[in-house]
Parts: sequence; C-alpha cells; structure tokens
Amino acid sequence: MTQASQPWTPLEMLAVAAAGQVRDGDLAVVGLGLPQVAALLAQRTHAPTSELLLELGVFDPHPTGPSMGIADPRMWEGAAVFGGVLDVLGSMLHGGRVSLGILSAVQVDPDGSINTTQVHLEDGSLRRINGSGGGNDIASLAGRTLVVLRHEPRRFRACLDFLTSPGRAVGGRRRSELGLPGEGTVAVVSDRAVLEVTDEGTFLHSVHPGEDPEAVLEATPYAVQVRPGGPEVTSAPTEEELRLIRTELDPQGWYTR
Amino acid sequence: MSKVVSLSEAMASIEDGSHVGLTGFAITRNAVAAALELTRAKRRHLRLTQVIVGLETDLLVGAGCVDRLVYSGGSLDRFGLVHAVNRAIATGTLQIEEYSTLALTLRLAAGSLGLPFVPTRSMLGSSLLDNLRAAGEIVEQTDPFTGSPVLVMSPVRPDVAIVHADTCDEEGNATIAGPRWSLRETALAAARVIVTTERVVLRGTIPPERVVVPGTVVSAVTEVPRGASPTALPGHYDYDRAWLEAHVEATKEGGERFRRYLEGMLEARAVHP
Repeated sequence: MTQASQPWTPLEMLAVAAAGQVRDGDLAVVGLGLPQVAALLAQRTHAPTSELLLELGVFDPHPTGPSMGIADPRMWEGAAVFGGVLDVLGSMLHGGRVSLGILSAVQVDPDGSINTTQVHLEDGSLRRINGSGGGNDIASLAGRTLVVLRHEPRRFRACLDFLTSPGRAVGGRRRSELGLPGEGTVAVVSDRAVLEVTDEGTFLHSVHPGEDPEAVLEATPYAVQVRPGGPEVTSAPTEEELRLIRTELDPQGWYTR
Repeated sequence: MSKVVSLSEAMASIEDGSHVGLTGFAITRNAVAAALELTRAKRRHLRLTQVIVGLETDLLVGAGCVDRLVYSGGSLDRFGLVHAVNRAIATGTLQIEEYSTLALTLRLAAGSLGLPFVPTRSMLGSSLLDNLRAAGEIVEQTDPFTGSPVLVMSPVRPDVAIVHADTCDEEGNATIAGPRWSLRETALAAARVIVTTERVVLRGTIPPERVVVPGTVVSAVTEVPRGASPTALPGHYDYDRAWLEAHVEATKEGGERFRRYLEGMLEARAVHP
C-alpha cells in the first residue's frame, strides 16, 4: 500500500480529513474515539469558535491531553458547564441547536445510516458492540452528521446488520417523511477517502494522497458514483496538524496509530 | 432523622426480582461496592434500568443476578466492551430493551414527573424502534399539532435507584461533582433511593444549591470510601487501569476465569470494607 510511504498514518489522515469537515462556529456533539480527536483538531486549527458537547452533560471542554473516552474525566478538563443528558441531548440537540454530529461506525450504508450495535458473524453467532448511546439521538437530530470509520469492505453494507442511527433516508423514506429534522449524514470519512452522501446517492468526493480511486471503489462494495473529472485528492495533513495530534491530542496513538 | 445504615443492611432491602435503577456511566461513578454486595448476597432475577452501562452492570450480569436490562448501550470506553453483558445477550440469558440515551432518559424523566407518556423524535426509522414496538413500551403516533410522526414512550419507575455520591448528609441530601448524565432523572424516577457515599457529613454542612439528589427521596445512606473504585470518581480518585484491564480479560474469557476474578474482588472488599 502506498500509504506506508506517507509521513503520517492512515488514521491520522482520517482524523485530519474529518476535522476538515468541521466549520468554524459549529456546535458539535461528538462520540467516543476518533470523533473526539477530529473535533478538537478542527477547534485548534481552522474552526476556533466551534464548540464541543459531550452527551453526558459536558459543555465546551478544552482537554490538554488524551483520554480513554467521553466518560474519562480527563476529557472534561476546561469545560464551561457540567449538566446532564437532558441539557446536551435534550435542550441543545432535541431543541434544534446542534449543527454537527460526529460519529464513528462499525458499518455504514449508502444513505449514511450506521450500525454500532451488533454484527452477525458468518458462523451465525452475534457479536454485540457498544449500542446506540447518544449516537442515534445525534444522527436523528443534529443539523448534519459526519461518519468516520476504517475503510474495510465488510464495513460498507448495502443492508446493515442493525440500523442503530439513521442517515439521509431509511428504506427509501426520506428524513422528513420519517419525522426527522436536519440533513442527516453528509460525509463518510475513512482512512482512504471522503465519500459525500447526498439525496442522489453516495459520491467519491476525494481520495487521500497516494490512494488509487479504482482501488478505493473496489474496497467499497456498494454503489458509489464519481463526478465528471473524477475525485479530488484530499488535502494532506499539515505539519501543525500532525504536531497537534502527536503531541497533544493523541500522544499515545490510541486512536490514530 | 438519620438514614445511615451499613452497606449490607442497605442492600438487604433490595429483594430478588426488584427493578433497580443504576447510575454509573461506563468507567466513572459506578456504585461498585453496592453491586458487589448484591452479588455477595446472591440476589437473583433483578431487572436493571441504566442509561449507559459500565463496570457495575457487567459485574451483576456476569454474576447471574440479572434477568432483564433496559439500557441504551455502554462500554468500558477504550478499556473494552462490557463482555459479560454482551455475552448474556448473544446467548439469550439476558433479555434486553434497548433505547437511545436521550429516549431512555426521557422515559425516566416522565417517571419522575408522573407523566403518563413522553414524546420524542429520536429513534424514528431505526432498528431500535422495530424491536421496542414489539416490546409494547413505545408507540408511533402523529403529532396532534403538526401532523408529523412522533414516538410516544411509557414512563419508567424503578423500585429503587442506587447512587454513589461524593458527600451526603445523614438524611440523604447528596452532592455529585462533574457532569450528571441521567443520574438525577434515574434517582427521582425510582420509588426510593439508596445512597452510598465517600463521606457522610452533618445536615447543614452542604449548601442547599449543591444538593443534586434530595434526601426527601432517599431511604438509606451508607458511607463507603472508594465505593466507586475501580471506576473513576472525579475530584476523588482516578479509574484503576490495571483493575479495569483485568476485568475486561476475565469477562472476555468468562466461565471459571470470571468466577475466580469475582471471588478475588469480593475477598479484597471484605478485607477493606
């Protein structure tokens, strides 16, 4: 794989590409893991007035080091407010104030719906994972949603094993018909590419530096369209972005190595 | 009137088959000492409601105390999955009702407020809804004002909730530092609350605006220093990394390995109550 020759890891590239989707001024609820890293990276670079919320009731944290997840008190450092679920997922999210959700997924479908609950293994057994937590609430209610996951063919599914959190449509029914506000999933960011999710289907928006578009499409076993002129190349991580990830946001490489 | 009792007395008031609300979150503020006491007393057929499960739930399910779990997911963050819970679900020994975090918190809030039902726009279109419709706790309705689809959920009222508080006065007025997730809704939804706490203090020493769980709903208070360990208690102690790692290994393997781990944990707690 050409990525081996890059001076960054595939997951560092994912974090940088996901951060690139955050806009300055976004009010974002983020899930466990890579979404935390991506949102904090955006805030430290091009989106300084973006604000993070954590489902357990934390407003605007500014952690100075890595954490084991959203329940790790290290992640709450520098927070403005400690409230509860009804403040963050209730008044902020259900109340219509949250512009962006960032979620990691085990499986994703062409509408950008995701599975974080369970996977049916080939031997017929069931592998249970984390479940929804606030993921379903975020995907259902945020202004727009960003999905991050590793680019493995088994994760890109025409039909999910379990639809934990809805994307732009479910079973051909649009969000407005389902009673859901917001746009739903706008992008799926992997360690190889950025897929743009629209009401007209999924497009290969950009491939990461060194990636072959044909190989990416082959590793994405559902219908992905390519616009005339082909996909762009995702902007490579800057030195500052890599420095932030390696020295402040994820020095142990728990999420990005 | 003082409600201070021993941990074993407090936990003995929870009978087999009770519906218990738990208030830890993943690797933080779990009522571990209380959960171990229920395990030691071999409580059976419990029904648990907990918005985000963590170590306490994994212990109780692993020890065979639980028949039914109402929750919205959970893990031990980066330490790993709740293997005991997940295995019991996969093998069918644990019945579940699975929500989103907000939906279950709203059901508890409805329980606390005595509301007959509560609406939400979460879970529309999801597999969570498909499963819950069958359970009969949730109905798809039309919003009478806008005509949009909306979900209507029944309230939840546990028999008893367990909270591990930073400090608590002898009448049960308890403080909680840090974010409170669904702790308050779970406590207020329950018919009564048992508080375990790092430190029992005198009535009048906690400023009223700092009380998160009012003593009015509390039936018992028990002092258990480090009662949330090996999970974290913000402002008091960090999570115990080695212990959480050992838990994940023991639950991943299950069977005899888990039994030995649980026995070791109970012995350690007996020496340092």
